[in-house]
Amino acid sequence: MSLAPLVAVVSQVAPLVDPGALLATGGAVEGIQTAARVLAEGIGKGAVYFTIAVGLTLVFGLMGVLNFAHGAVAMVGAYLGGLVLVLVVGANTGTIATILVFFVALALVFAVTTAAGSAMEVALIRPIYDRTPTYQILLTFGVSLIIEEVARIVLTLRGIQPDPQWQAPMATAPDVLLGRTELLGIGVRRLYLFEVAIGAVVAVAVWAFLTKTLYGLYIRAGSEDTEMVQALGIDVRQAFTVVFGVGTGLAAVGGVLLMWDPIWGPSVLLSIDVLLYAFVVVIIGGLGSFTGTLVAAGIVGIADSVTTWLFTTGIVTFPGLSEVTIFLLLVVMLIIRPQGLYGVEEVGGH
Amino acid sequence: MTTLELDGVHTYYGESHILQGLSLSVEEGEIVALVGRNGVGKTTTLRTALGLTPPREGTVWFDGTDVTGMEPHEIAARGMGWVPEERRVFSHLTVAENLRVAAHSAADPDARIAEAYELFPALDRFADKEAGDLSGGQQQMLAIARGMVGDNDLLLVDEPSEGLAPQIVEDVVEALRAASADTTMVLVEQNFRLAMDLADRFYLVDHGVVVEAGETAGVTSEDERIRRYLTA
Repeated sequence: MSLAPLVAVVSQVAPLVDPGALLATGGAVEGIQTAARVLAEGIGKGAVYFTIAVGLTLVFGLMGVLNFAHGAVAMVGAYLGGLVLVLVVGANTGTIATILVFFVALALVFAVTTAAGSAMEVALIRPIYDRTPTYQILLTFGVSLIIEEVARIVLTLRGIQPDPQWQAPMATAPDVLLGRTELLGIGVRRLYLFEVAIGAVVAVAVWAFLTKTLYGLYIRAGSEDTEMVQALGIDVRQAFTVVFGVGTGLAAVGGVLLMWDPIWGPSVLLSIDVLLYAFVVVIIGGLGSFTGTLVAAGIVGIADSVTTWLFTTGIVTFPGLSEVTIFLLLVVMLIIRPQGLYGVEEVGGH
Repeated sequence: MTTLELDGVHTYYGESHILQGLSLSVEEGEIVALVGRNGVGKTTTLRTALGLTPPREGTVWFDGTDVTGMEPHEIAARGMGWVPEERRVFSHLTVAENLRVAAHSAADPDARIAEAYELFPALDRFADKEAGDLSGGQQQMLAIARGMVGDNDLLLVDEPSEGLAPQIVEDVVEALRAASADTTMVLVEQNFRLAMDLADRFYLVDHGVVVEAGETAGVTSEDERIRRYLTA
C-alpha cells in the first residue's frame, strides 16, 4: 500500500502547526485556570445556543414541523431589540436603565413575534398539515428568504449596512457587560455571565411551562401522540398555534440576546447562522426533547469554546476548524445515534 | 336511549374502501362487541365514530347529536372515550400525568383520578413512574383508566387483551367490567369467547359491513353463521 496520499495530506497540514505555539501553550492546556475559563466560556456559549434552539425543538416536538424560518425570526429579533435600544438609550443613559430597557425590548420583541408566529401558523402552516413534511420545509424556507430580503431592503433604505454588522445596538451595551470579571479566580467575560443568566431564566421558564402547567402537559403528551391527545378532547390545533407562536417568540428572544454579542451581532447573516447552530443543537439533543436541547447546547457550547481556544491560540492556528468540529459532532451523532441523545425514534406527526 | 348510531357509513383510507355502508347502534348501558377477522373494519368503525377517520358517506349519531364531520376533540369532549389498540399511553409522562391529561374535561378531575386509583391500586403505587416503564398489563390498565377518568358516556375499547398473558387478561376483563358499571362500551376483541363473555350484544363485521348481529348469550365460535366469517 502506498503512503503517498498520507504524506501529501501531512505536508499540507504541517504549515498550520506552529511548534512554538505548541510548546508555549502546552503548559496552558494543563493549567486549571485556562481549562476553567474555557469551560466557563463554553457554558456561556451553551446558554446562547440553548436560547436560540429551544423554540425550534418545541415546535418540532409537538407539531413535527421543522421551521426553517427560525433563524430569520432570530435575526428580526436582533434588529427589533436593537431598534428599541438605539431609540431609547442615549449617551447619558445609566447602566441600570440600559439593562432595564434591554429587558423591556426583550419582552416587547417576544410579544410581537409570538403574535406574528401564531398568525403565521394559522395562515400558512395550518393549511398544509395534511401534506408531507417537504411542503412545510419548503414553505418555512420560503418565508425565511422573504424575511431576509425584506430585512435587506429595509436596511438598505435606512442606510444601515447589513453586512458585516449593524454596530449601533452593540454600542448601546453598558460598560458593565464589557470586559472580564474575576470569578473564583477565573477571568470570565461579563457578557457570557449575562447570557448565562438569561439562558437560565429562559430554561426555567420553558421548563416550568412544560411541567407545571396543564397546557405544558398537553404539549408534552401531544409531542408523543397528537392523535391520542385529540381523542382525549384536547384541541390540538389551538395548542399548535400557541406553541408555534411561543417557539417563534423564543427565536426572537435568542436574537435579542445575540444583539450585544460581538461574535454574533445584528446582521442579515444571523438568519442562516442561527438556523445552522439551532439545528446542530436540536439534532444532537434529539428533535423535540427539551432536556436534550439543554444538554446538547452545553455540549456544543463547550466543544465550541474548547476548539476555538485550541484552533486560535493553541496547537493549530485555523479559526474555521472550530465550526468544522461542531458540524463534525453533528455528523457523528447522525451516524451513531440518529434520534439524538434524548430523542425518541418517532416524534411529532399528526 | 341510543348512545351511538352509525348509519350507512362509508370510510376510506386513501382509495381503500374500508367501511362499505356499515350500520349499528349501541344503547345506553350496553356492552356491544364488534367481532370479525383481522382487517374487516372493526378498528376503523371505532375511529369513524370518534372522527379520527371521518366517513365520506353516512351519519354518526352520538347521544342524539349528529357528530359527522366534527373534529375528534369535539366528539371526545361530548363524552366519547377511546382505549386504543396497543394502549398508546404517553410513555414519557408519569402515570399521574397520563390520567391528568385525560381528566381535564371532568367536573372534578381529582375525584375521578382518585376513583381510578381505587379501581386500579397498581396505578396508585406507580403514580410517579413513567408509563413507558410499566408492564404491558399495567399499561393496559392505565389506558382503560385514562378512558374512564374523563366523565365519558361511551368508551370505545380496541383489542384490550392483545399481547397480554392469560392471567393479566383476567385482570383486564375485571377492569372492563368495573368500567362498564357506569359507562356504555363498544368492544373490539379478537378473542371471541372473551368478547361474548363480556358483551351483551355483538355485531359480526365482514368486508366493512355488519353480516350478523344479536345477543351474545349462548353464542359460540362454533355456530355455523359465526364460524364461516371467523375462519379464513
